[in-house]
Amino acid sequence: MKGFTHFMSGVAVASFGPWAIDAALAGNPIFFILGGACGILPDTLDFKFYRFFYHHDVYVEPDPANLDPQIVADEIARAVAMAHDENRYINLKLSSVRLGADHWQQYNVTFDNEKKEVVVTFGPVVNTGQVPIPGTEDLTTGVGRAPIKSRVIQTYDAALKVDIFDGPTIGLKPLGNEEGDLDLEFLPWHREWSHSLTMGAFLGLLWMIGAMLWAGLPVLEGLTGWKAILGGLFTHYSVAWQGFITIAACYGIHVIEDQLGHMGSNIFYPFTKNRTPGLQWMHSGDGLPNFLTVWISCILIFWNLHRAIPEPTYHFSLLHLLMVALIIPGLIMGALHWLFTRGTRVDAIVDTTDDEWSASKAG
Amino acid sequence: MEAFWMVLISCVIGTVISSVISCLPGLHIYNVMGAMVLGLLALETGGTMVPPEIFVPMMIGMVVGWAMLNTIPAVLLGAPDESAMFTVLPGQKYLLSGRGYEGTMITAVGGLAGAFFIIFVLGPFAPKYLPVAQEVLKGHMHWILWVIITFILMSEWPKGGNRGPAGWAKFYDAWKTLLAGLATFFLAGLLGFIILTRSPVDHEVAFQNIMPAFVGLFAIPWCLLNMISAADVPKQRVVKGLEVDGDLILRSVWSGGLGGGLAAYLPAVTGGVGGLLAGHATAQRDERIFIMGQGVSKFVYYVGSFMLLFVPGLGLTRGGGAWMMKTLYVPTTYSDYYLALGSIAIASAVAYLMMSPLARMVLWFIDRFNYRHVSTFALVIIIVMVLAVTGWVGMFIAVVSTGIGLLPVLFGSRRLNCLGILLLPMACNMAGFGEVITRWLRLT
Repeated sequence: MKGFTHFMSGVAVASFGPWAIDAALAGNPIFFILGGACGILPDTLDFKFYRFFYHHDVYVEPDPANLDPQIVADEIARAVAMAHDENRYINLKLSSVRLGADHWQQYNVTFDNEKKEVVVTFGPVVNTGQVPIPGTEDLTTGVGRAPIKSRVIQTYDAALKVDIFDGPTIGLKPLGNEEGDLDLEFLPWHREWSHSLTMGAFLGLLWMIGAMLWAGLPVLEGLTGWKAILGGLFTHYSVAWQGFITIAACYGIHVIEDQLGHMGSNIFYPFTKNRTPGLQWMHSGDGLPNFLTVWISCILIFWNLHRAIPEPTYHFSLLHLLMVALIIPGLIMGALHWLFTRGTRVDAIVDTTDDEWSASKAG
Repeated sequence: MEAFWMVLISCVIGTVISSVISCLPGLHIYNVMGAMVLGLLALETGGTMVPPEIFVPMMIGMVVGWAMLNTIPAVLLGAPDESAMFTVLPGQKYLLSGRGYEGTMITAVGGLAGAFFIIFVLGPFAPKYLPVAQEVLKGHMHWILWVIITFILMSEWPKGGNRGPAGWAKFYDAWKTLLAGLATFFLAGLLGFIILTRSPVDHEVAFQNIMPAFVGLFAIPWCLLNMISAADVPKQRVVKGLEVDGDLILRSVWSGGLGGGLAAYLPAVTGGVGGLLAGHATAQRDERIFIMGQGVSKFVYYVGSFMLLFVPGLGLTRGGGAWMMKTLYVPTTYSDYYLALGSIAIASAVAYLMMSPLARMVLWFIDRFNYRHVSTFALVIIIVMVLAVTGWVGMFIAVVSTGIGLLPVLFGSRRLNCLGILLLPMACNMAGFGEVITRWLRLT
């Protein structure tokens, strides 16, 4: 899902903590900020930090002064050969080609497993908005083809299109079968350790330790019985455990939401080593599921804030709120959409480029 | 004269005045409205009362005309106000491919769709549901602002660090843009604290104290950039039809109405921020939806925030226009509300009809003169405006804020970070620790 969707989901989850609303009403926004920040944090860790330190075995960096698709194809074939011959995981970096302040050379990489070759074609020059510059479609002609030693199995349907800003990383992982096939992992540095429930709990634990140190030792004099002592501890360290729950839950909702897509996440790192494939219910950039998640998050936040009003002037149930804010407007929008598009056949344009990867470049 | 004709004529006059003013870069309608309010107050002091049936529709017409037609300088002259900055990127793309007229007209369709949204969707339901929302959200605005700030700062992604081996050098290269963005936000915020706490601008024009800063943050860097690096603008085509349909308009209203509505309702959240949030929320990819949606968003932001003042039982004042109106007249009844809705409808129709001739006129101007010269001309108008309204002190503020506004231009970071000027002081003040910071800055 898109960053804003994760962010709003995090805020919505935070709003379920009564302490978050109490603190907010007292002028302290920290739990809501934590909620939103932790909702988007897994992607932040990957896209803003980890990827710059991620080691690559082969860097494909086309020379802007000598754009030759064959050189690119040969380098990719070399990476495949390394994975095949040395029987180890190879990280291959497809670097972008910057031609000017706002101009980038687009190129596409396709693995043809029938012919056992990699095919590289150069596309148009695009601007930073990924819009082709007119007249550049045939500027760099020719197709680069190089034989590959293994078939490269692409289970995740991301197209290997390189254009603006950073180019993608692909991991070539030996499958260990008789044919010597390789599994293609798109962005192996993404949704690895950062996208795990355990990481969320760990970060929450760090917060808890920090908050407990900040709070110092509790004064439990006069408290008798384990219930009273426990209550005293909970009160004294309230920011610590409330922060732990907020961070772990809001971080976790990101991981859970990502499981609805294709790529999946490494849910219990370090106990699990690989990504668990997603449910494939949606692509991360699909408009409707993203909007619905954001909107439902807003409704839930609103509902939680309403519940916290001691003597509300207006009384309504969650069902009433859902009808007014979601179902009726949704039906009207749906009907209008049907009315405007009836009789027209809309061919779905399937852009298989990874949406999160594209979004990170557009942001 | 009958009240109907008074309303109609004053509304049309206000719309026509603001439509023409909207084509001048750098001049904000709130400057003109401010001058008008001062004039009306002077008349009142002298014993001449101007009835609200005249100045209320006129001010509504001014806001509507501005909301609809300010796209012209934003797209064609590259001198946007803050709320237009999202229109500008794809809008200028249209300009550079000879389709500037089409871009502005698509935005105008968005504006008209925004008018329909306000009159037929917000209009009937606002008195019933907005007081409910207000009761629930009134104690929570500060954290909503903080959450928005958090998202703005966290959602900018690195643009460098694309080549070379992994390591700190690559990390630093990537983070240059992000650090510049953070620096822009906090410097603008610091400037905001100074201006909002102890404005050096003369108290007689205190309602304009933020204007030179906004001009410096947004308009002047854009003009300078155009003057230094503007590509030659190709000959512009004037098309007879736009490739838009009902579904496109519906989706634009969905996205733009949400963004503009958020910006209109939440304090210190401007059209640009609303547009950013709605763009992320609705994940629309079609460029036409983007441009039209920004037209909707801008209209709903300016007109919607003004309209909130008229919603019976709400008592919400949002935006400079509404605050100025409040110094003259506080609407309370349903007849005020219907007067506002009717005026919005009339003004929207007039403004939409003025869009095409005014856009053609500006295109003729661009065609006749070199685009760099047009940008220089725009810059001169802006500087004259700042000097005329706020004097040399305002000019000094504009120069300082231009320095901050150039940071995102030079480092390729988000220009939205300049909105730290409003967001940071407002969020701190609403959370209750703004005074601690101003004391620490020795401003209070």
